[in-house]
Amino acid sequence: MIGLQESPEVAAAAAAPIAGGGNWTLHFLQGITPEAVPGWILPIVTASISVGVVIAMISVIAMLSVWLERKVSGHIQCRYGPMYAGGWHGWAQTIADGVKLLTKEDMVPSGADKPLFMLAPAIVLGAIFGAFVAMPLAPDYFFADINLGVFFILGMSSLTTIGVVMSGWASNSKWSLYGAMREAAQVVAYEIPLGISLMVALICAGTFNLIDASEAQRDFWGMGWFIFKNPFVIPAVVLFFVATLAETKRAPFDLPEAESELVAGFLTEYSGIRWSFFFMEEYAAMFLMSLVMAVFFFGGFESPVTYLAAESMGLGYDHLVTNLLGAVTLIVKSMMGVLLMMWIRWTLPRVRIDQVMTMGYKYLTPLALVCVLGAALWEAGKQAIL
Amino acid sequence: MSEQQLDLRAEEQARQPASIGDYFKNIWDAVTTTVAGMKITGRYFLQKPITVQYPDEQMPIPERYRGIHYLEQDKCIECNACARACPIDCIEMEAVRHGKELEWIKFTIDYQKCMFCELCVYPCPADCIHMGTEFAFVTEDRSEFNLDLLSYKGMSRDARIRMKEAAEKKAAKEAAKKAKAKAEAEKKAAEGGDTPSEDGGEEGTDA
Repeated sequence: MIGLQESPEVAAAAAAPIAGGGNWTLHFLQGITPEAVPGWILPIVTASISVGVVIAMISVIAMLSVWLERKVSGHIQCRYGPMYAGGWHGWAQTIADGVKLLTKEDMVPSGADKPLFMLAPAIVLGAIFGAFVAMPLAPDYFFADINLGVFFILGMSSLTTIGVVMSGWASNSKWSLYGAMREAAQVVAYEIPLGISLMVALICAGTFNLIDASEAQRDFWGMGWFIFKNPFVIPAVVLFFVATLAETKRAPFDLPEAESELVAGFLTEYSGIRWSFFFMEEYAAMFLMSLVMAVFFFGGFESPVTYLAAESMGLGYDHLVTNLLGAVTLIVKSMMGVLLMMWIRWTLPRVRIDQVMTMGYKYLTPLALVCVLGAALWEAGKQAIL
Repeated sequence: MSEQQLDLRAEEQARQPASIGDYFKNIWDAVTTTVAGMKITGRYFLQKPITVQYPDEQMPIPERYRGIHYLEQDKCIECNACARACPIDCIEMEAVRHGKELEWIKFTIDYQKCMFCELCVYPCPADCIHMGTEFAFVTEDRSEFNLDLLSYKGMSRDARIRMKEAAEKKAAKEAAKKAKAKAEAEKKAAEGGDTPSEDGGEEGTDA
Protein backbone atom coordinates (compact mmCIF):
# COMPACT_ATOMS: atom_id res chain seq x y z
CA MET A 1 0.00 0.00 0.00
CA ILE A 2 1.18 3.46 -0.73
CA GLY A 3 2.24 5.69 2.08
CA LEU A 4 2.82 2.83 4.47
CA GLN A 5 6.24 1.68 3.40
CA GLU A 6 9.16 2.28 5.71
CA SER A 7 11.86 4.58 4.41
CA PRO A 8 14.76 2.02 4.39
CA GLU A 9 12.65 -0.34 2.31
CA VAL A 10 11.69 2.55 0.11
CA ALA A 11 15.35 3.37 -0.45
CA ALA A 12 16.01 -0.26 -1.33
CA ALA A 13 13.06 -0.29 -3.69
CA ALA A 14 14.29 2.89 -5.33
CA ALA A 15 17.56 1.22 -6.16
CA ALA A 16 15.74 -1.67 -7.80
CA PRO A 17 14.30 -1.20 -11.31
CA ILE A 18 10.70 -0.21 -11.69
CA ALA A 19 9.86 -3.67 -12.95
CA GLY A 20 8.12 -6.08 -10.67
CA GLY A 21 5.48 -3.79 -9.24
CA GLY A 22 5.68 -0.96 -6.80
CA ASN A 23 4.60 2.61 -6.96
CA TRP A 24 5.98 4.55 -9.88
CA THR A 25 5.06 7.90 -8.39
CA LEU A 26 7.05 7.14 -5.27
CA HIS A 27 10.04 5.97 -7.27
CA PHE A 28 9.92 9.05 -9.40
CA LEU A 29 9.72 11.38 -6.42
CA GLN A 30 12.61 9.59 -4.74
CA GLY A 31 14.66 10.12 -7.84
CA ILE A 32 14.20 13.89 -7.89
CA THR A 33 14.00 14.96 -4.22
CA PRO A 34 17.16 16.30 -2.53
CA GLU A 35 18.40 14.41 0.51
CA ALA A 36 17.56 17.22 2.92
CA VAL A 37 13.85 16.36 2.58
CA PRO A 38 12.81 13.95 5.36
CA GLY A 39 11.75 10.49 4.14
CA TRP A 40 8.26 10.51 5.67
CA ILE A 41 7.13 13.36 3.46
CA LEU A 42 7.41 11.38 0.25
CA PRO A 43 4.71 8.75 1.01
CA ILE A 44 2.32 11.53 2.05
CA VAL A 45 2.99 13.45 -1.17
CA THR A 46 2.63 10.22 -3.13
CA ALA A 47 -0.68 9.47 -1.45
CA SER A 48 -1.95 12.98 -2.24
CA ILE A 49 -0.91 12.65 -5.87
CA SER A 50 -2.53 9.23 -6.11
CA VAL A 51 -5.77 10.54 -4.64
CA GLY A 52 -5.67 13.40 -7.12
CA VAL A 53 -5.10 10.99 -9.99
CA VAL A 54 -7.97 8.73 -8.86
CA ILE A 55 -10.39 11.62 -8.47
CA ALA A 56 -9.39 13.21 -11.77
CA MET A 57 -9.55 9.93 -13.65
CA ILE A 58 -12.86 8.82 -12.22
CA SER A 59 -14.39 12.25 -12.82
CA VAL A 60 -13.25 12.18 -16.43
CA ILE A 61 -14.57 8.64 -16.90
CA ALA A 62 -17.89 9.56 -15.25
CA MET A 63 -18.25 12.60 -17.49
CA LEU A 64 -17.39 10.56 -20.55
CA SER A 65 -19.94 7.95 -19.52
CA VAL A 66 -22.65 10.57 -19.08
CA TRP A 67 -21.95 11.87 -22.58
CA LEU A 68 -21.86 8.32 -23.90
CA GLU A 69 -25.15 7.51 -22.21
CA ARG A 70 -26.82 10.45 -23.87
CA LYS A 71 -25.43 9.54 -27.26
CA VAL A 72 -26.36 5.86 -26.86
CA SER A 73 -29.87 6.67 -25.70
CA GLY A 74 -30.22 9.11 -28.56
CA HIS A 75 -29.13 6.66 -31.21
CA ILE A 76 -31.26 3.88 -29.78
CA GLN A 77 -34.23 6.23 -30.15
CA CYS A 78 -33.17 7.19 -33.70
CA ARG A 79 -32.00 10.68 -32.78
CA TYR A 80 -28.57 12.21 -32.34
CA GLY A 81 -28.29 13.30 -28.71
CA PRO A 82 -26.11 16.32 -27.89
CA MET A 83 -24.51 17.69 -31.04
CA TYR A 84 -23.38 21.29 -30.45
CA ALA A 85 -21.48 21.84 -27.18
CA GLY A 86 -17.76 21.66 -27.89
CA GLY A 87 -18.08 21.07 -31.61
CA TRP A 88 -17.55 17.40 -32.31
CA HIS A 89 -20.79 15.54 -31.50
CA GLY A 90 -21.34 17.61 -28.37
CA TRP A 91 -18.40 16.15 -26.47
CA ALA A 92 -18.33 19.07 -24.04
CA GLN A 93 -22.01 18.76 -23.10
CA THR A 94 -21.24 17.21 -19.72
CA ILE A 95 -18.69 19.92 -18.92
CA ALA A 96 -21.28 22.56 -19.76
CA ASP A 97 -23.84 20.79 -17.57
CA GLY A 98 -21.30 20.49 -14.77
CA VAL A 99 -20.55 24.20 -14.86
CA LYS A 100 -24.26 24.93 -14.81
CA LEU A 101 -24.75 22.64 -11.80
CA LEU A 102 -21.83 24.25 -10.00
CA THR A 103 -23.36 27.69 -10.35
CA LYS A 104 -26.74 26.63 -9.00
CA GLU A 105 -27.95 27.60 -5.57
CA ASP A 106 -27.09 25.11 -2.84
CA MET A 107 -30.54 24.41 -1.41
CA VAL A 108 -31.56 22.48 1.67
CA PRO A 109 -35.31 22.01 2.05
CA SER A 110 -36.89 23.32 5.24
CA GLY A 111 -37.58 20.48 7.65
CA ALA A 112 -34.67 18.47 6.30
CA ASP A 113 -32.07 17.07 8.66
CA LYS A 114 -29.41 19.49 7.49
CA PRO A 115 -26.17 17.78 8.61
CA LEU A 116 -27.29 14.39 7.29
CA PHE A 117 -28.65 15.93 4.13
CA MET A 118 -25.33 17.58 3.40
CA LEU A 119 -23.25 14.59 4.44
CA ALA A 120 -25.05 12.02 2.27
CA PRO A 121 -23.60 12.98 -1.15
CA ALA A 122 -20.13 13.16 0.36
CA ILE A 123 -20.45 9.65 1.78
CA VAL A 124 -21.76 8.28 -1.50
CA LEU A 125 -19.01 9.85 -3.58
CA GLY A 126 -16.30 9.19 -1.00
CA ALA A 127 -17.21 5.52 -0.80
CA ILE A 128 -17.05 5.04 -4.55
CA PHE A 129 -13.72 6.89 -4.80
CA GLY A 130 -12.46 4.78 -1.93
CA ALA A 131 -13.38 1.66 -3.83
CA PHE A 132 -11.28 2.84 -6.77
CA VAL A 133 -8.17 2.83 -4.58
CA ALA A 134 -8.02 -0.95 -4.98
CA MET A 135 -8.37 -0.65 -8.73
CA PRO A 136 -5.18 -1.41 -10.62
CA LEU A 137 -4.47 1.10 -13.38
CA ALA A 138 -1.92 -1.08 -15.09
CA PRO A 139 -0.29 -4.38 -14.10
CA ASP A 140 2.54 -2.46 -12.44
CA TYR A 141 0.80 0.76 -11.58
CA PHE A 142 -1.66 0.73 -8.72
CA PHE A 143 -2.44 2.78 -5.68
CA ALA A 144 -3.05 -0.04 -3.26
CA ASP A 145 -2.20 -3.67 -3.91
CA ILE A 146 -4.72 -5.11 -1.46
CA ASN A 147 -4.78 -8.87 -0.99
CA LEU A 148 -8.54 -8.81 -0.45
CA GLY A 149 -9.00 -6.25 -3.22
CA VAL A 150 -12.36 -7.46 -4.44
CA PHE A 151 -13.71 -7.65 -0.90
CA PHE A 152 -12.64 -4.07 -0.40
CA ILE A 153 -14.29 -2.95 -3.64
CA LEU A 154 -17.59 -4.72 -2.92
CA GLY A 155 -17.57 -3.41 0.66
CA MET A 156 -16.92 0.16 -0.36
CA SER A 157 -19.49 0.11 -3.15
CA SER A 158 -22.08 -1.25 -0.70
CA LEU A 159 -21.28 1.70 1.54
CA THR A 160 -22.91 4.00 -1.00
CA THR A 161 -26.24 2.48 0.06
CA ILE A 162 -25.77 4.08 3.48
CA GLY A 163 -25.41 7.46 1.83
CA VAL A 164 -28.53 6.84 -0.25
CA VAL A 165 -30.59 5.76 2.76
CA MET A 166 -29.24 8.76 4.65
CA SER A 167 -30.27 11.13 1.87
CA GLY A 168 -33.73 9.58 1.71
CA TRP A 169 -34.27 9.90 5.44
CA ALA A 170 -32.79 13.40 5.75
CA SER A 171 -34.73 14.90 2.84
CA ASN A 172 -38.02 15.00 4.79
CA SER A 173 -39.91 13.92 1.68
CA LYS A 174 -42.03 10.83 1.20
CA TRP A 175 -40.63 10.28 -2.29
CA SER A 176 -37.08 10.32 -1.01
CA LEU A 177 -37.96 7.97 1.81
CA TYR A 178 -39.66 5.50 -0.52
CA GLY A 179 -36.65 5.60 -2.82
CA ALA A 180 -34.25 4.99 0.04
CA MET A 181 -36.33 2.10 1.38
CA ARG A 182 -36.37 0.50 -2.04
CA GLU A 183 -32.62 0.97 -2.36
CA ALA A 184 -32.04 -0.70 0.99
CA ALA A 185 -34.31 -3.64 0.17
CA GLN A 186 -32.81 -4.02 -3.27
CA VAL A 187 -29.20 -3.95 -2.12
CA VAL A 188 -29.87 -6.49 0.62
CA ALA A 189 -31.46 -8.76 -1.96
CA TYR A 190 -28.75 -8.40 -4.58
CA GLU A 191 -25.57 -8.32 -2.51
CA ILE A 192 -25.98 -12.07 -2.03
CA PRO A 193 -26.09 -13.19 -5.69
CA LEU A 194 -23.45 -10.58 -6.51
CA GLY A 195 -20.98 -12.05 -4.06
CA ILE A 196 -21.89 -15.66 -4.77
CA SER A 197 -21.61 -15.35 -8.55
CA LEU A 198 -18.27 -13.62 -8.10
CA MET A 199 -17.22 -16.64 -6.05
CA VAL A 200 -17.23 -18.66 -9.27
CA ALA A 201 -14.49 -16.47 -10.70
CA LEU A 202 -12.66 -16.51 -7.38
CA ILE A 203 -12.66 -20.32 -7.47
CA CYS A 204 -11.01 -20.14 -10.90
CA ALA A 205 -8.58 -17.41 -9.86
CA GLY A 206 -7.68 -18.72 -6.43
CA THR A 207 -7.08 -15.16 -5.23
CA PHE A 208 -8.94 -12.06 -4.12
CA ASN A 209 -6.27 -9.76 -5.52
CA LEU A 210 -7.25 -8.08 -8.78
CA ILE A 211 -3.75 -8.03 -10.26
CA ASP A 212 -3.10 -11.69 -9.41
CA ALA A 213 -6.50 -12.65 -10.82
CA SER A 214 -5.62 -10.86 -14.04
CA GLU A 215 -2.26 -12.61 -14.21
CA ALA A 216 -3.94 -15.98 -13.68
CA GLN A 217 -5.69 -15.49 -17.04
CA ARG A 218 -2.44 -15.03 -18.97
CA ASP A 219 -2.80 -18.01 -21.29
CA PHE A 220 -3.55 -18.96 -24.93
CA TRP A 221 -2.50 -15.68 -26.54
CA GLY A 222 -3.85 -13.71 -23.61
CA MET A 223 -7.25 -15.34 -24.05
CA GLY A 224 -7.22 -17.66 -21.04
CA TRP A 225 -10.13 -15.72 -19.65
CA PHE A 226 -12.11 -17.29 -16.82
CA ILE A 227 -15.29 -17.11 -18.91
CA PHE A 228 -13.74 -19.79 -21.15
CA LYS A 229 -12.39 -21.78 -18.25
CA ASN A 230 -15.42 -23.83 -17.29
CA PRO A 231 -19.07 -24.01 -18.31
CA PHE A 232 -20.39 -22.67 -15.02
CA VAL A 233 -18.70 -19.31 -15.42
CA ILE A 234 -20.90 -18.21 -18.33
CA PRO A 235 -24.20 -18.25 -16.37
CA ALA A 236 -22.28 -16.78 -13.45
CA VAL A 237 -21.29 -13.79 -15.61
CA VAL A 238 -24.93 -13.20 -16.50
CA LEU A 239 -25.98 -13.44 -12.86
CA PHE A 240 -23.17 -11.13 -11.81
CA PHE A 241 -24.12 -8.62 -14.47
CA VAL A 242 -27.79 -8.63 -13.45
CA ALA A 243 -26.78 -8.20 -9.82
CA THR A 244 -24.47 -5.29 -10.69
CA LEU A 245 -27.37 -3.61 -12.50
CA ALA A 246 -29.36 -3.74 -9.28
CA GLU A 247 -26.34 -2.76 -7.22
CA THR A 248 -25.65 0.36 -9.28
CA LYS A 249 -29.37 1.32 -9.38
CA ARG A 250 -29.49 1.06 -13.15
CA ALA A 251 -32.59 0.34 -15.19
CA PRO A 252 -34.42 -2.05 -15.18
CA PHE A 253 -33.67 -1.95 -11.44
CA ASP A 254 -33.68 1.83 -10.99
CA LEU A 255 -36.45 1.65 -8.43
CA PRO A 256 -34.76 4.00 -5.94
CA GLU A 257 -34.92 6.73 -8.56
CA ALA A 258 -38.09 5.65 -10.45
CA GLU A 259 -38.80 9.02 -12.01
CA SER A 260 -42.25 7.99 -13.22
CA GLU A 261 -43.43 6.92 -9.75
CA LEU A 262 -41.33 8.71 -7.15
CA VAL A 263 -40.51 12.05 -8.85
CA ALA A 264 -36.79 11.30 -8.57
CA GLY A 265 -36.69 8.97 -5.57
CA PHE A 266 -33.91 9.76 -3.13
CA LEU A 267 -32.69 12.55 -5.44
CA THR A 268 -35.97 14.47 -5.24
CA GLU A 269 -34.79 17.19 -2.86
CA TYR A 270 -31.28 17.47 -4.21
CA SER A 271 -30.11 20.03 -6.72
CA GLY A 272 -26.95 21.60 -8.04
CA ILE A 273 -23.59 20.20 -7.07
CA ARG A 274 -24.96 17.76 -4.46
CA TRP A 275 -27.20 16.20 -7.06
CA SER A 276 -24.28 15.95 -9.45
CA PHE A 277 -22.36 14.03 -6.75
CA PHE A 278 -25.03 11.33 -6.79
CA PHE A 279 -25.03 11.36 -10.55
CA MET A 280 -21.26 10.98 -10.73
CA GLU A 281 -21.43 8.16 -8.19
CA GLU A 282 -23.85 6.27 -10.42
CA TYR A 283 -21.51 6.38 -13.40
CA ALA A 284 -18.42 5.72 -11.31
CA ALA A 285 -20.17 2.69 -9.78
CA MET A 286 -21.08 1.44 -13.25
CA PHE A 287 -17.46 1.70 -14.29
CA LEU A 288 -16.27 0.06 -11.09
CA MET A 289 -18.62 -2.90 -11.43
CA SER A 290 -17.75 -3.33 -15.09
CA LEU A 291 -14.11 -3.22 -14.08
CA VAL A 292 -14.58 -5.99 -11.52
CA MET A 293 -16.43 -8.00 -14.16
CA ALA A 294 -13.66 -7.37 -16.71
CA VAL A 295 -10.92 -8.35 -14.26
CA PHE A 296 -12.58 -11.50 -12.92
CA PHE A 297 -14.37 -12.83 -15.99
CA PHE A 298 -12.92 -11.22 -19.10
CA GLY A 299 -9.20 -11.43 -18.60
CA GLY A 300 -8.32 -8.12 -16.94
CA PHE A 301 -5.17 -6.78 -18.56
CA GLU A 302 -4.77 -9.85 -20.72
CA SER A 303 -5.71 -9.75 -24.38
CA PRO A 304 -4.01 -10.70 -27.65
CA VAL A 305 -2.70 -7.12 -27.80
CA THR A 306 -0.79 -7.36 -24.53
CA TYR A 307 0.30 -10.87 -25.46
CA LEU A 308 1.75 -9.62 -28.74
CA ALA A 309 3.62 -6.82 -27.00
CA ALA A 310 4.91 -8.97 -24.18
CA GLU A 311 5.71 -12.26 -25.90
CA SER A 312 5.94 -11.78 -29.66
CA MET A 313 7.77 -8.47 -29.50
CA GLY A 314 9.76 -9.71 -26.55
CA LEU A 315 9.09 -6.71 -24.35
CA GLY A 316 8.04 -8.77 -21.36
CA TYR A 317 5.19 -8.12 -19.00
CA ASP A 318 7.05 -5.48 -16.99
CA HIS A 319 7.76 -3.16 -19.89
CA LEU A 320 6.15 0.27 -19.99
CA VAL A 321 4.48 -0.41 -23.35
CA THR A 322 2.93 -3.64 -22.10
CA ASN A 323 1.68 -1.82 -19.04
CA LEU A 324 0.13 0.93 -21.13
CA LEU A 325 -1.51 -1.59 -23.45
CA GLY A 326 -2.78 -3.50 -20.41
CA ALA A 327 -4.30 -0.32 -18.99
CA VAL A 328 -5.98 0.49 -22.30
CA THR A 329 -7.26 -3.10 -22.58
CA LEU A 330 -8.81 -2.99 -19.14
CA ILE A 331 -10.42 0.40 -19.67
CA VAL A 332 -11.82 -0.68 -23.04
CA LYS A 333 -13.24 -3.86 -21.50
CA SER A 334 -14.79 -1.88 -18.66
CA MET A 335 -16.29 0.64 -21.05
CA MET A 336 -17.82 -2.24 -23.00
CA GLY A 337 -19.51 -3.30 -19.78
CA VAL A 338 -20.74 0.25 -19.23
CA LEU A 339 -22.04 0.32 -22.80
CA LEU A 340 -23.89 -2.95 -22.22
CA MET A 341 -25.49 -1.47 -19.10
CA MET A 342 -26.64 1.50 -21.16
CA TRP A 343 -27.99 -0.76 -23.87
CA ILE A 344 -29.98 -2.68 -21.25
CA ARG A 345 -31.24 0.54 -19.71
CA TRP A 346 -32.67 1.81 -22.98
CA THR A 347 -34.19 -1.55 -23.83
CA LEU A 348 -36.00 -2.82 -20.76
CA PRO A 349 -38.76 -1.14 -18.79
CA ARG A 350 -38.50 -0.85 -15.02
CA VAL A 351 -39.62 -3.90 -13.05
CA ARG A 352 -41.92 -3.78 -10.06
CA ILE A 353 -40.49 -3.92 -6.53
CA ASP A 354 -42.02 -7.36 -5.88
CA GLN A 355 -40.55 -8.59 -9.16
CA VAL A 356 -37.17 -7.22 -8.11
CA MET A 357 -37.40 -9.12 -4.84
CA THR A 358 -38.61 -12.30 -6.56
CA MET A 359 -35.78 -12.12 -9.04
CA GLY A 360 -33.16 -11.52 -6.37
CA TYR A 361 -34.22 -14.14 -3.86
CA LYS A 362 -35.97 -16.81 -5.93
CA TYR A 363 -33.91 -16.80 -9.10
CA LEU A 364 -30.49 -15.18 -8.84
CA THR A 365 -29.47 -16.54 -5.43
CA PRO A 366 -30.24 -20.25 -6.05
CA LEU A 367 -28.81 -20.11 -9.56
CA ALA A 368 -25.63 -18.46 -8.28
CA LEU A 369 -25.31 -21.21 -5.66
CA VAL A 370 -25.72 -23.87 -8.36
CA CYS A 371 -23.01 -22.13 -10.41
CA VAL A 372 -20.61 -22.04 -7.46
CA LEU A 373 -21.22 -25.69 -6.70
CA GLY A 374 -20.78 -26.68 -10.33
CA ALA A 375 -17.64 -24.61 -10.80
CA ALA A 376 -16.10 -25.97 -7.60
CA LEU A 377 -16.82 -29.57 -8.59
CA TRP A 378 -15.52 -28.94 -12.11
CA GLU A 379 -12.25 -27.45 -10.89
CA ALA A 380 -11.83 -30.15 -8.24
CA GLY A 381 -12.55 -32.85 -10.81
CA LYS A 382 -10.08 -31.32 -13.24
CA GLN A 383 -7.38 -31.29 -10.60
CA ALA A 384 -8.18 -34.89 -9.63
CA ILE A 385 -8.03 -36.10 -13.24
CA LEU A 386 -5.05 -34.11 -14.54
CA MET B 1 -66.82 -17.63 -19.55
CA SER B 2 -68.40 -15.33 -17.02
CA GLU B 3 -66.43 -12.97 -14.85
CA GLN B 4 -67.16 -15.01 -11.76
CA GLN B 5 -65.86 -18.15 -13.39
CA LEU B 6 -62.71 -16.34 -14.45
CA ASP B 7 -62.22 -15.13 -10.89
CA LEU B 8 -62.63 -18.66 -9.58
CA ARG B 9 -60.17 -19.97 -12.11
CA ALA B 10 -57.61 -17.32 -11.18
CA GLU B 11 -58.06 -18.21 -7.52
CA GLU B 12 -57.57 -21.86 -8.28
CA GLN B 13 -54.41 -21.11 -10.21
CA ALA B 14 -53.14 -18.93 -7.39
CA ARG B 15 -53.76 -21.73 -4.88
CA GLN B 16 -51.72 -24.20 -6.88
CA PRO B 17 -48.00 -23.96 -6.18
CA ALA B 18 -45.88 -22.99 -9.16
CA SER B 19 -44.29 -26.05 -10.65
CA ILE B 20 -40.57 -26.43 -11.20
CA GLY B 21 -41.32 -26.34 -14.92
CA ASP B 22 -42.75 -22.85 -14.54
CA TYR B 23 -39.58 -21.82 -12.74
CA PHE B 24 -37.35 -22.77 -15.63
CA LYS B 25 -39.83 -21.43 -18.14
CA ASN B 26 -39.67 -18.06 -16.37
CA ILE B 27 -35.88 -18.04 -16.61
CA TRP B 28 -36.05 -19.00 -20.28
CA ASP B 29 -38.67 -16.31 -20.97
CA ALA B 30 -36.64 -13.66 -19.16
CA VAL B 31 -33.51 -14.44 -21.16
CA THR B 32 -35.17 -14.78 -24.57
CA THR B 33 -37.35 -11.69 -24.24
CA THR B 34 -34.41 -9.61 -23.07
CA VAL B 35 -32.34 -10.79 -26.00
CA ALA B 36 -35.20 -10.07 -28.41
CA GLY B 37 -35.59 -6.57 -27.02
CA MET B 38 -31.89 -5.89 -27.16
CA LYS B 39 -31.79 -7.03 -30.78
CA ILE B 40 -34.40 -4.44 -31.65
CA THR B 41 -32.71 -1.59 -29.79
CA GLY B 42 -29.36 -2.68 -31.20
CA ARG B 43 -30.74 -2.45 -34.70
CA TYR B 44 -32.04 1.03 -34.02
CA PHE B 45 -28.70 1.97 -32.49
CA LEU B 46 -26.85 1.01 -35.65
CA GLN B 47 -29.20 2.65 -38.13
CA LYS B 48 -28.89 6.28 -39.11
CA PRO B 49 -30.95 8.62 -36.95
CA ILE B 50 -34.08 9.88 -38.64
CA THR B 51 -34.07 13.27 -36.96
CA VAL B 52 -32.79 16.31 -38.84
CA GLN B 53 -30.40 18.83 -37.28
CA TYR B 54 -32.90 21.60 -37.82
CA PRO B 55 -31.16 24.95 -38.18
CA ASP B 56 -28.35 23.37 -40.20
CA GLU B 57 -30.51 21.23 -42.44
CA GLN B 58 -34.24 21.25 -43.11
CA MET B 59 -36.84 18.73 -44.06
CA PRO B 60 -38.17 19.37 -47.58
CA ILE B 61 -41.33 21.48 -47.35
CA PRO B 62 -44.40 19.96 -49.03
CA GLU B 63 -45.69 21.63 -52.13
CA ARG B 64 -49.00 22.67 -50.64
CA TYR B 65 -47.55 23.77 -47.32
CA ARG B 66 -49.41 26.65 -45.68
CA GLY B 67 -46.87 29.06 -44.28
CA ILE B 68 -46.78 32.82 -44.02
CA HIS B 69 -48.60 34.42 -47.00
CA TYR B 70 -46.95 36.28 -49.78
CA LEU B 71 -48.70 38.94 -51.76
CA GLU B 72 -48.23 39.86 -55.40
CA GLN B 73 -48.85 43.49 -54.70
CA ASP B 74 -48.90 44.67 -58.30
CA LYS B 75 -51.71 42.30 -59.19
CA CYS B 76 -53.82 43.15 -56.17
CA ILE B 77 -56.86 45.27 -56.84
CA GLU B 78 -57.79 45.94 -53.22
CA CYS B 79 -61.14 44.27 -53.61
CA ASN B 80 -61.22 43.11 -49.94
CA ALA B 81 -62.38 39.64 -50.99
CA CYS B 82 -59.72 37.96 -48.90
CA ALA B 83 -60.47 40.07 -45.86
CA ARG B 84 -64.15 39.22 -46.15
CA ALA B 85 -63.39 35.54 -46.57
CA CYS B 86 -61.16 35.45 -43.50
CA PRO B 87 -63.08 33.70 -40.70
CA ILE B 88 -61.20 35.56 -37.96
CA ASP B 89 -60.84 38.93 -39.64
CA CYS B 90 -57.11 39.18 -39.40
CA ILE B 91 -56.54 40.79 -42.82
CA GLU B 92 -56.71 44.55 -43.13
CA MET B 93 -55.93 46.58 -46.23
CA GLU B 94 -55.98 50.23 -47.12
CA ALA B 95 -55.16 52.03 -50.36
CA VAL B 96 -56.09 55.23 -52.14
CA ARG B 97 -57.39 54.91 -55.66
CA HIS B 98 -56.11 57.14 -58.40
CA GLY B 99 -58.23 56.06 -61.29
CA LYS B 100 -57.10 52.54 -61.99
CA GLU B 101 -53.88 52.79 -59.96
CA LEU B 102 -53.58 52.19 -56.22
CA GLU B 103 -51.55 54.11 -53.69
CA TRP B 104 -50.91 51.50 -50.99
CA ILE B 105 -51.05 52.39 -47.32
CA LYS B 106 -51.18 48.94 -45.71
CA PHE B 107 -51.99 45.27 -46.20
CA THR B 108 -51.56 43.54 -42.83
CA ILE B 109 -52.23 40.02 -41.61
CA ASP B 110 -52.18 39.52 -37.84
CA TYR B 111 -50.31 36.26 -37.35
CA GLN B 112 -51.31 36.11 -33.72
CA LYS B 113 -54.80 35.37 -35.03
CA CYS B 114 -54.18 33.78 -38.40
CA MET B 115 -54.77 30.03 -38.40
CA PHE B 116 -53.39 29.41 -41.89
CA CYS B 117 -56.72 28.06 -43.19
CA GLU B 118 -56.01 29.22 -46.74
CA LEU B 119 -59.61 30.52 -47.09
CA CYS B 120 -58.27 33.93 -48.14
CA VAL B 121 -56.50 32.46 -51.13
CA TYR B 122 -59.48 31.01 -53.00
CA PRO B 123 -61.75 34.06 -53.39
CA CYS B 124 -59.02 36.33 -54.77
CA PRO B 125 -60.14 37.41 -58.28
CA ALA B 126 -56.63 38.54 -59.24
CA ASP B 127 -54.95 35.43 -57.82
CA CYS B 128 -52.46 37.59 -55.96
CA ILE B 129 -52.39 36.18 -52.38
CA HIS B 130 -50.69 32.83 -51.80
CA MET B 131 -49.58 30.64 -48.90
CA GLY B 132 -45.78 30.72 -48.57
CA THR B 133 -43.28 28.23 -47.18
CA GLU B 134 -41.86 30.32 -44.36
CA PHE B 135 -42.90 28.97 -40.94
CA ALA B 136 -40.21 30.10 -38.49
CA PHE B 137 -41.38 33.45 -37.23
CA VAL B 138 -39.81 34.72 -34.02
CA THR B 139 -39.90 38.23 -32.64
CA GLU B 140 -39.35 39.86 -29.30
CA ASP B 141 -42.37 42.10 -29.71
CA ARG B 142 -45.91 40.88 -30.20
CA SER B 143 -46.84 43.85 -32.35
CA GLU B 144 -44.45 42.58 -34.98
CA PHE B 145 -46.73 39.61 -35.54
CA ASN B 146 -49.12 42.01 -37.23
CA LEU B 147 -47.09 41.68 -40.37
CA ASP B 148 -47.34 44.08 -43.29
CA LEU B 149 -47.15 42.09 -46.50
CA LEU B 150 -46.59 45.12 -48.71
CA SER B 151 -43.27 45.16 -50.46
CA TYR B 152 -43.58 48.92 -50.98
CA LYS B 153 -45.80 51.69 -49.71
CA GLY B 154 -47.51 54.26 -51.90
CA MET B 155 -47.43 53.79 -55.63
CA SER B 156 -45.04 51.74 -57.59
CA ARG B 157 -42.82 53.36 -60.20
CA ASP B 158 -44.64 51.45 -62.91
CA ALA B 159 -48.00 52.62 -61.65
CA ARG B 160 -46.77 56.18 -61.62
CA ILE B 161 -45.53 55.84 -65.20
CA ARG B 162 -48.76 54.19 -66.23
CA MET B 163 -50.72 56.93 -64.57
CA LYS B 164 -48.67 59.60 -66.25
CA GLU B 165 -49.02 57.87 -69.59
CA ALA B 166 -52.72 57.54 -69.10
CA ALA B 167 -52.99 61.22 -68.21
CA GLU B 168 -50.95 62.14 -71.28
CA LYS B 169 -53.06 59.90 -73.46
CA LYS B 170 -56.21 61.41 -72.07
CA ALA B 171 -54.87 64.88 -72.62
CA ALA B 172 -53.82 63.95 -76.15
CA LYS B 173 -57.23 62.41 -76.81
CA GLU B 174 -58.97 65.44 -75.52
CA ALA B 175 -56.74 67.68 -77.55
CA ALA B 176 -57.46 65.54 -80.60
CA LYS B 177 -61.15 65.69 -79.88
CA LYS B 178 -60.96 69.41 -79.48
CA ALA B 179 -59.04 69.76 -82.70
CA LYS B 180 -61.53 67.57 -84.48
CA ALA B 181 -64.44 69.54 -83.14
CA LYS B 182 -62.77 72.76 -84.14
CA ALA B 183 -62.06 71.42 -87.59
CA GLU B 184 -65.64 70.32 -87.96
CA ALA B 185 -66.87 73.69 -86.85
CA GLU B 186 -64.60 75.40 -89.29
CA LYS B 187 -65.81 73.10 -92.02
CA LYS B 188 -69.39 73.83 -91.19
CA ALA B 189 -68.62 77.52 -91.13
CA ALA B 190 -67.02 77.25 -94.53
CA GLU B 191 -69.94 75.26 -95.94
CA GLY B 192 -72.75 77.40 -94.68
CA GLY B 193 -71.35 80.96 -94.45
CA ASP B 194 -74.78 82.31 -95.24
CA THR B 195 -76.13 81.26 -91.91
CA PRO B 196 -74.38 83.42 -89.35
CA SER B 197 -76.96 82.70 -86.69
CA GLU B 198 -75.96 79.02 -86.63
CA ASP B 199 -72.29 79.95 -86.53
CA GLY B 200 -72.87 82.11 -83.53
CA GLY B 201 -74.77 79.30 -81.85
CA GLU B 202 -71.91 76.93 -82.42
CA GLU B 203 -69.42 79.33 -80.95
CA GLY B 204 -71.63 79.61 -77.93
CA THR B 205 -71.56 75.82 -77.34
CA ASP B 206 -67.82 75.78 -77.72
CA ALA B 207 -67.41 78.28 -74.96
